[in-house]
Amino acid sequence: MPRRWRPRSTKNILKMKDYFKYFDKFTFVLLLLLSLISIFLIYSAGYSSHETHYLKQAVWLIVSLLVFFIVFALKIDFIFRNAFTVYLALIVILVMQIVLGGTVARTKSWFRLWGIGFQFSEFVKIPLALYLAKILTQFEVIDWKAFVKLVGVIVAPVVLIILQPDMGVSFILCSFVPLVILLKKVKPAVLVISLLLVVFSGIIGWYSILRPYQRDRIISFLNPSEYKTSTGYQIIQSKIAIGSGGLSGKGYLKGSQSQYKFLPARHTDFIISLIGEEFGFINTGLLFFVFFILFYRQFKFNFKNDEEFYFIFLFNGLILFQFIINVTMAIGFFPVLGISLPFVSYGGSSLLSLFIGEAIVFRIKINNYLT
Amino acid sequence: MYLSKRKISSDFVKRAAIVSTVFLIGTFFFIFVAFWSIQIVHNEKYTQLAIKNITRVIDLPAPRGMIVDRLGRVLAENKINFTLYLVRENVEKLEKAIEKASYFSGKSVADIDQIIDKYKKYSGFYRIPIKSNLPRATVIFIQSRKDEFPEFEIGMEPSRTYPLAHCAAHLLGHISEITETELNADKFGIYGFGDLVGRSGIENQYETFLRGVKGRQTVIKNNVERIQRISSEVKPEIGETVVLTLDLRLQEFIENLLANESGAVGVLDLKTGGVLALVSKPDFNPEIFSREMGQEQWQAISNDPQKPLQNKFLQGIYSPGSVFKIIMALAGLQEKIISPNSSVFCSGSQVFYDRVFHCWNPGGHGAVNFFAALQNSCNIYFYNLGMKMDIDTIASYARLMGLGKESGIDLPNEKAGLVPDSAWKMNTFNQRWFAGETISVSIGHGSLNVTPAQMLKLIATVALRGRMPKLHLLQRIEKQGKVVREFTAGFSRVPIDEKNFELLIEGLFRVVNSEGTGRAAKIDGLDICGKTGTSQIIAKENPRYKQLTKEKKFMPHSWFVSFAPRVNPRLAMVVLVENGGDAGAIAAPLAAQIYKKYFENEGLL
Repeated sequence: MPRRWRPRSTKNILKMKDYFKYFDKFTFVLLLLLSLISIFLIYSAGYSSHETHYLKQAVWLIVSLLVFFIVFALKIDFIFRNAFTVYLALIVILVMQIVLGGTVARTKSWFRLWGIGFQFSEFVKIPLALYLAKILTQFEVIDWKAFVKLVGVIVAPVVLIILQPDMGVSFILCSFVPLVILLKKVKPAVLVISLLLVVFSGIIGWYSILRPYQRDRIISFLNPSEYKTSTGYQIIQSKIAIGSGGLSGKGYLKGSQSQYKFLPARHTDFIISLIGEEFGFINTGLLFFVFFILFYRQFKFNFKNDEEFYFIFLFNGLILFQFIINVTMAIGFFPVLGISLPFVSYGGSSLLSLFIGEAIVFRIKINNYLT
Repeated sequence: MYLSKRKISSDFVKRAAIVSTVFLIGTFFFIFVAFWSIQIVHNEKYTQLAIKNITRVIDLPAPRGMIVDRLGRVLAENKINFTLYLVRENVEKLEKAIEKASYFSGKSVADIDQIIDKYKKYSGFYRIPIKSNLPRATVIFIQSRKDEFPEFEIGMEPSRTYPLAHCAAHLLGHISEITETELNADKFGIYGFGDLVGRSGIENQYETFLRGVKGRQTVIKNNVERIQRISSEVKPEIGETVVLTLDLRLQEFIENLLANESGAVGVLDLKTGGVLALVSKPDFNPEIFSREMGQEQWQAISNDPQKPLQNKFLQGIYSPGSVFKIIMALAGLQEKIISPNSSVFCSGSQVFYDRVFHCWNPGGHGAVNFFAALQNSCNIYFYNLGMKMDIDTIASYARLMGLGKESGIDLPNEKAGLVPDSAWKMNTFNQRWFAGETISVSIGHGSLNVTPAQMLKLIATVALRGRMPKLHLLQRIEKQGKVVREFTAGFSRVPIDEKNFELLIEGLFRVVNSEGTGRAAKIDGLDICGKTGTSQIIAKENPRYKQLTKEKKFMPHSWFVSFAPRVNPRLAMVVLVENGGDAGAIAAPLAAQIYKKYFENEGLL
């Protein structure tokens, strides 16, 4: 059937309509909901010490939404095509940070630009996921060549970020390795040897790269009462906060653990404990349900290119890992590594990076409807 | 096109979808269960921990109860004491802060260093007490410049004050801070660190009533122990008021009378057994114990040979001298060894068991009967009486009249004195009793030891013809104006015939009123009965007696025990002047003045 001629402008208008029609509004509302809850919670976290993190987060949210729509408007092909360049640029920035290094809170992960703190390590996730997705399409099975390439692109930023040092982000990036292995057939020899390599590098890393306080952090969750002054104390206070919240919580701005500052990092890593304390099991459960629906919906999609499939699994897998680690850390099932709760913890760079990734996912999902 | 075409099999996609969904459900289920366990199952445990995190219980000291006399005049009460505290958290430079603290408190830098060191383990917010009893001017100076001295805090606590200073110091006693050992022994948790406890006198005796009930404040604190607000408060209850039988008018009068002496006076209300005055000289101001006492001050007061800290009324041990003749007389009559009319010839001295014993009157009293013997305090009469009795009989009568054991007055740390007998001699020296020793004891010398309190009880029992009163200082205990507890007078009967007491009293009456040894106590219009006693510090047989007794510290102690009036007696009294010399000349006239004062006060004279 011959296509009816339409004036160019009309075609554009129709396209906008379609965009709106097929745009995953429900999931977008969930994202908005999480980000707004975040501001609400960060306000409570800083309430007793009159901190204004919530305002910064609000500004970051506006910026993130703007960038979301900009990225959403980009063509998928264009995004994947430029991923490696962005990846390389970020690697260069990370190297420069380490060499030149402005130090904020004894880490070099922060970079101040126009008075705004950027944490570039957070941004590596997206181009890395895109590039990994591309690499995965280039091989039938993961043989030695593919393995070296994949591990190489993951390890480069991981090492740089560890050196900064930001354990949380680098650990999260490492979760790409199992995801890659799950998504592709792997030669048995490669699998065995890579597993050995992981164990070996783990041992090396433990003794040579990690500093004593980082080691303490990792093992203290096993026996928190022995580390009362450091991360063990954090885990104990976090559990007390969550446990004392009970069924319906102590009320907004009324959590004693949060408001009297027993709960550490309550606007970042332990924000889930603040929710647990002030809003109780019912509302924490509801929040988990929102996350569940979000993940569930983002894992259901159609795709035209293999890269899209891999990217969605890599990106969503990454957020899911981050979510699981953050939540289990707050209840003492996982080491305190400084991993934030996606969309909810305070942190502009993280939020922006997550919204960029989501924009790509949204774009991939809509492409299937548009053609 | 940069991107590759779709090659992934729909099988793989399906598998990936199933695996990811199962993984999602699995992990969320795990998280859900974990939160359920912490928030619902273990909610109680974590709630308690959260409460423990933010709460702290602070004891609020209770103001101590007052001590007042029978007319309600205040002997001990509370005032506000200002204490200087240092809070390390607010210190900018510790050295400077210590210098300032030294300036405000008048203590040396080293002393303050030491104080701060003691509180090293406490958190930075802990208020370290630098100095209590801060002068008002310093308080105002610091309070008005709060911004300049953020590291200092002024605390207000109730502190003990004795408005009459030295008056009745011994019987009031003193208070001081509780020690660590006492705290550990305090099973009921009544006391806390820094609490003040009654150490002696009434403060100690009625501690349970005076201490009051502590208040309790529950405060909400944050993670660095800083107090956010008060969550609940139980106000402290002031201690109960102890009303004493004491008559302060009389007490002060006697204290002035004995201003320059060392000794003790006790005055007893015979109707109730309540002590009207209890004086021990020299005295001290009990407030020095509430304040911080310097080493020098403590040395001076504790090494004073006149023992100002000792309550001589119940802790001073003296030989009773001729006062003991009262017991000898009673024993002799009761045992029917003597009769009022049988007499003995006194030539000034007599030989017993190959040894010469002297009368105090070298010229002798001639023929003396029972009454004359008491009137003139003739030693020879009582030597003869003693010779006819054995020591154990004498001792049993002495004990009957309250000697050899605490008088039982409601004050702590009373001395028991000593009534020697053959068993005591055997136990202590592993020797049998020599009959010659009985001769000395019969005029109140030898190993015999008594306290003024026992002598007061003795003369009171004589006055009441054998009804022995229970000495007491407590009249009643009041709580917010209501009587909580009242002392009920108690008398016990001594198994000695009343007629023998009447005979004894006739003798004692003559001591004062028939030109006897106590004639200086005579007052017109009041029948005073009494007995003098001069207890030697060194034996008269000592060749240097005359020369030594010129020195004050070797002069004999003067006793005068008495009561009045003879019929329906109201007042009993003991006067002891240490190293006073002749009792008739020293102790007896003091007693007369006290009687005069009392009966004039009562409008009876």
